[in-house]
Amino acid sequence: MSPDMKTETDLDAPKPLSRKILVGLLLGGLGGVAGFTVAEFLGDSITRWDDDVNVVMGTILIGMALISVGVIILRPRSIPKGCGVLQVIVLALAGVMLLAPMYATQLASPEYVFGAVIVLLVAQTAANLMLWRLADEMLRRVMMETSTIAFWALQTALFIYAAAERLGLVETITGWGLIGILMGVYLVSSSIAATRRGMT
Amino acid sequence: MNNRLKVLRAERNWSQGDLADQLGVSRQTVNALETGRYDPSLPLAFRIAKVFQQPIESIFSE
Repeated sequence: MSPDMKTETDLDAPKPLSRKILVGLLLGGLGGVAGFTVAEFLGDSITRWDDDVNVVMGTILIGMALISVGVIILRPRSIPKGCGVLQVIVLALAGVMLLAPMYATQLASPEYVFGAVIVLLVAQTAANLMLWRLADEMLRRVMMETSTIAFWALQTALFIYAAAERLGLVETITGWGLIGILMGVYLVSSSIAATRRGMT
Repeated sequence: MNNRLKVLRAERNWSQGDLADQLGVSRQTVNALETGRYDPSLPLAFRIAKVFQQPIESIFSE
């Protein structure tokens, strides 16, 4: 190997630790501001724990969509072509669908809100399918591993909860609460699968 | 699995993005391949061999 030969170009050089710390602090700060803003906006309007969970999940998903927009702009080649926009759409729609049943009734009747949620679900499903088709093999592997991890974690948790509920040891959890918990588990599973491949 | 992707790429003065474009994958995938976080499928391994014009077994080893 020639002494002049580079093993890395500027684009591939490892980022300094100070930069990583700065980015972490910036993201943490943005998260804190977002959380404070949401809390101020909600005030005392939320009184159910399952609504609390879904507000947090919905906000996180919309926040992730916004971060993904930044990634697309700053590092376009880090994501397979076309996948960035679809990821943004999937995340944003998921967040909106979680927030809609709690807030959209201020604008329309529950029946119309439900219809709108179903339409958004169809759109998000289509976006997910398109994302799968455009993804490269590693991104598909991450998506499959996310589903696998989430399935086993939720199956275990659901069995434990169901047994405890049947035995009268715990109160019944609403379906709305369960979906919020599911989204949280899914996000954690996604982080695990992505981190294993160095995608974080 | 070990591989010589980083060395072969450097010999041609390609960035990870350049190699990713030639292989039809993302730069993240190339980075994961080079750091051993991901092993390629057989079709991708053949594409890699074709891009570098070397047999697969000279690029990948256990």
